[in-house]
Amino acid sequence: MNSSMIKALNSMNSYQMKLDLIADNVANSNTVGYKKKSAVFEDLLNTVKEQPDSFALDGRKAPLGFNQGWGSRVTGIATDFTQGTMKETGVLTDLAIEGNALFQVQVDAAGTAAYTRDGSFQISINEAGEAVLTTSQGYPVVATLPDGSQGRIVVPEGYAMQVRADGSVNAVDEIGDTIPLGRIRLVEAVRPDALVQAADNLFALAAGADADQAVAEVIPNTDNRLAVRQGYVEQSNVDLSTEMTDMIRVQRAYQLAARALSSSETMMQIANNLRSN
Amino acid sequence: MLRGLYSAASGLTSQQRRHDTITNNIANIETAGFKQNTTPLRSFNEMLLSMTGVDSNQPKTIGTWTGNVFAEESLTYHLQGDLTQTNNRYDFAIISNIAVDGLIFDQSGKAVTDNGEVVYQPQAYFTVQNEQGERRYTRGGQFSVNSEGFLTTSTGDYVLGTNDEPIVLPAGVSIEDLTLTNDRRLVTSAGTDTGIQLLISRIDNPHGLVREGDGSYRLEEGAAAAITEDDAVEVRQGYIEQSNVDITQASVDLMAALRAYEANQKVIQFYDTTLQKTANDIGRIS
Repeated sequence: MNSSMIKALNSMNSYQMKLDLIADNVANSNTVGYKKKSAVFEDLLNTVKEQPDSFALDGRKAPLGFNQGWGSRVTGIATDFTQGTMKETGVLTDLAIEGNALFQVQVDAAGTAAYTRDGSFQISINEAGEAVLTTSQGYPVVATLPDGSQGRIVVPEGYAMQVRADGSVNAVDEIGDTIPLGRIRLVEAVRPDALVQAADNLFALAAGADADQAVAEVIPNTDNRLAVRQGYVEQSNVDLSTEMTDMIRVQRAYQLAARALSSSETMMQIANNLRSN
Repeated sequence: MLRGLYSAASGLTSQQRRHDTITNNIANIETAGFKQNTTPLRSFNEMLLSMTGVDSNQPKTIGTWTGNVFAEESLTYHLQGDLTQTNNRYDFAIISNIAVDGLIFDQSGKAVTDNGEVVYQPQAYFTVQNEQGERRYTRGGQFSVNSEGFLTTSTGDYVLGTNDEPIVLPAGVSIEDLTLTNDRRLVTSAGTDTGIQLLISRIDNPHGLVREGDGSYRLEEGAAAAITEDDAVEVRQGYIEQSNVDITQASVDLMAALRAYEANQKVIQFYDTTLQKTANDIGRIS
């Protein structure tokens, strides 16, 4: 069989996957808190055709055996956690993280945790009639309450929410009366492989991963250069010009692989016409 | 029988091999740390032809003949690829330009000593350990950290430290907080040394490496040693080493291989016509 054809096909598949990722990035270039993804390529599987000792001729450089690769494949998707630009919105429930950390949210009643950079939060009213700080999809934001336990931020009626740079939340009313509500829980992804991207702009724990090992709680201070900014949202960190350059590169690579494919097709045709008459 | 028919057939096979190798290079334009391959072709050993059917005591020689061609080996060019900045702290790239006393290497990494010996430029590699516990070498530095805290390659092989053990990050420390120093140690942003140092191996003859796929190489001939301070090797965090495949050269070679294949086919057709004449037309009474 013409192995050029198989190689070209394999690589076209992986280039297609990279193109899909670029499309995903471009589509999310305006999504708050979105983190750019990129494909990691490796060369695919190798076969060594055995050669007898008589092939060890003068001037040969490599050890015996004819080494043949079979194209390339995508082995992983790397998420780029670089800081996105801050955009001022003036909305009190919009929070943005400066530095490397994630917000923790609760995705189901059992308390399953997920993580996000998307701080375009809102106040939702739950079944008990409480005004709870949630993500735009309605997942409650996890905070360390003043009594030390973990829970949600509930803003009393008639009070406005005020968030400090260290993540602590106060409820303030018109006459300046202040009630401490807790501190928004921020975590750092120390084992990012244990986090997988999920829908609704969230990162979820991979199956079998231990939350205590995968993430570590961080409290913003001046040493770790972390801060929570109220009234700002973090824009997507996708850089459109980089994506466009990448797209051109991948398109060209795809084109070249397609050319190799048609070239090997021509070769088969030539072999087929070996006896023309 | 007509000898040239078999020569042309061997030409077909060899050009097919060349075409395969070039396609594999093209397939890996986007693979970080990939090193391009070439397929040198070699003619069969020379032989002396004698005429048969003449006086056996005085054989009449015709001359030498090197009838066929074959693809001898799949040779990897272990040369430096371009570096691209990714700002991703999981990405590492090696810049290696190891000098050997008294030798000047050409663009293909080769030098010839005064007494005619061919020497190849030593190259530096990340040292990794695969699932079977065997040592492998790679230039693809797009690492990740698995859920147990081990620093791995994108296919899950463990990256080794200078203590010959797989590198494991201290609990609660993310690689985002770690910076690579000039002597390849990982220190935290606060300046504390984690005791982790990347093991970079120096391979004196890179042609002794056999490609295994997934970016890793097995050392089959020659020795590997940890690099020393004298070796001109630098590791950069936040960069990747691009594949060193030359796209222009690859497209030209692809066309050349195809056309050489076609030329061989034509030769076979000519022989076929000749044979047809011999078989059908010679001695025909018309």
